[in-house]
Amino acid sequence: MENMIEFKNVHKWYGKLHVLNDINLEISRGEVLVICGPSGSGKSTLIRCINRLEEIQKGEIVVNNTPVHDKTVNLTRLREDIGFVFQQFHLYPHMTVLQNITLAPVNVKKMSRKKAEAIAMEKLEQVGLTDKSGAYPGQLSGGQQQRVAIARGLAMSPEIMLFDEPTSALDPEMIGEVLDVMVNLVSEGMTMCVVTHEMGFAKKVADRVVFMDEGKIVETGKPDEFFDNPKTERAESFISMILTH
Amino acid sequence: MLADFNFRVIFEYLPLFLTGLRATFLISIVSIALALCTGIIACACRISPARVLKYPAIAYIEIIRSTPLLVQIYFLYFGLPTLGVRIPEIQTGILALMLNSGAYIAEIIRAGINSVDEGQLEAGISSGLNYVQRMRFIILPQALGVTIPPLLGQAIVLVKDSALLSLISVAELTRSGQLMTSERFMPTEAFFTVAFFYMCIYFVLKALAEWSQKKLIFREAY
Ligand SMILES: Nc1ncnc2c1ncn2[C@@H]1O[C@H](COP(=O)(O)OP(=O)(O)OP(=O)(O)O)[C@@H](O)[C@H]1O
Ligand SMILES: [Mg+2]
Repeated sequence: MENMIEFKNVHKWYGKLHVLNDINLEISRGEVLVICGPSGSGKSTLIRCINRLEEIQKGEIVVNNTPVHDKTVNLTRLREDIGFVFQQFHLYPHMTVLQNITLAPVNVKKMSRKKAEAIAMEKLEQVGLTDKSGAYPGQLSGGQQQRVAIARGLAMSPEIMLFDEPTSALDPEMIGEVLDVMVNLVSEGMTMCVVTHEMGFAKKVADRVVFMDEGKIVETGKPDEFFDNPKTERAESFISMILTH
Repeated sequence: MLADFNFRVIFEYLPLFLTGLRATFLISIVSIALALCTGIIACACRISPARVLKYPAIAYIEIIRSTPLLVQIYFLYFGLPTLGVRIPEIQTGILALMLNSGAYIAEIIRAGINSVDEGQLEAGISSGLNYVQRMRFIILPQALGVTIPPLLGQAIVLVKDSALLSLISVAELTRSGQLMTSERFMPTEAFFTVAFFYMCIYFVLKALAEWSQKKLIFREAY
């Protein structure tokens, strides 16, 4: 299968801290990858390198045949293809939901406002929030804000969606509505990288689970295998920890 | 005490005070407008990654903030002619106020920009917006809300600082008080009137600050 994202011997340091230690990873088109691991293991750093929110010091990352950390790369073009959803949503508080979603299509893709708004409404329907198009982020619940953030990412028609703990900042009763939206995305064939500890989500839709610890990929496997029969001790103790929570 | 207070003289000198008030008002408006432009440019240089812009901006801001305004005024007043630049005192004064407030305004704007959550920037970067677009659509609109009150505070400071221009004989409000004092030896009446007019300007600016704060603070997220 065609590779959408490829990490080749990637290393990254923060000062002396070796946050990414020889990462090799291939994600094919349409694949859903779940990344988990203890706090500080480098999960966020790993996916933030994919759209070059972070620099790397060694190795290479290739997205859709584009070397991401190459000097000559067209970053705008690269980022058009990659939607990013943050743990803390990061909606623009001074703009309405519709303005949040149309900002990039109008200014980056140079789409007409009318067309951008039509697409925005389409994406809002997809996340079940057509009635909130005129609301400000501050007037929405956490779950609603995160669904708007997903719609904002989708409005650029990306080929890849990256999620960094999209449900960790949410009250438990809102986690389901966000995961449902993500599950629907999977059925549309979107390539997805999701940092999450939601085992239910992983078992239901993930093609593979990657377990990280101290900057390394320690274990990779099918979700059922990984969660029910982890091969390494570190993964086993991690899984028992998230089960007791 | 109050019986000795000579209101008649104040009225006699009222035209002089009003001329001074008008001058102070005009000097302040022009200086604030110029200082705002200077501040915006200095701030843009200060936060720029390019060293040729960043370091001169830091030098300018630090020199201004570490020296008294009166010294800066004298420096320009005596220094410019030796460089062959001969301009009227009032222009020297406006230049000094502009450079002085510009440095403080640069720092006020920078603080406003820094107050915007890093995540806002990352959301903008991730969606492909370039530097100018991120500034224009995401950062500056949010920075504005927290920047307006201290900017008006700086404007109030500038109005009061303009009193120092009397020392290079610019015919502004404080200078009117000095003139009346030297002609009639009534410093109490003179500077009571001067103070009164400064207070009037202050309360107008303060009302403006409070009004703008209500109008311009944006809805909080989350
Ligand atoms: N900008 C930075 N400067 C220095 N160290 C950093 C920086 N960002 C992250 N780190 C460190 O790098 C390590 C990996 O961070 P990262 O955020 O990728 O972990 P994570 O697996 O996402 O953890 P969490 O589950 O808590 O989100 C941590 O030890 C963190 O303290
Ligand atoms: Mg993280």
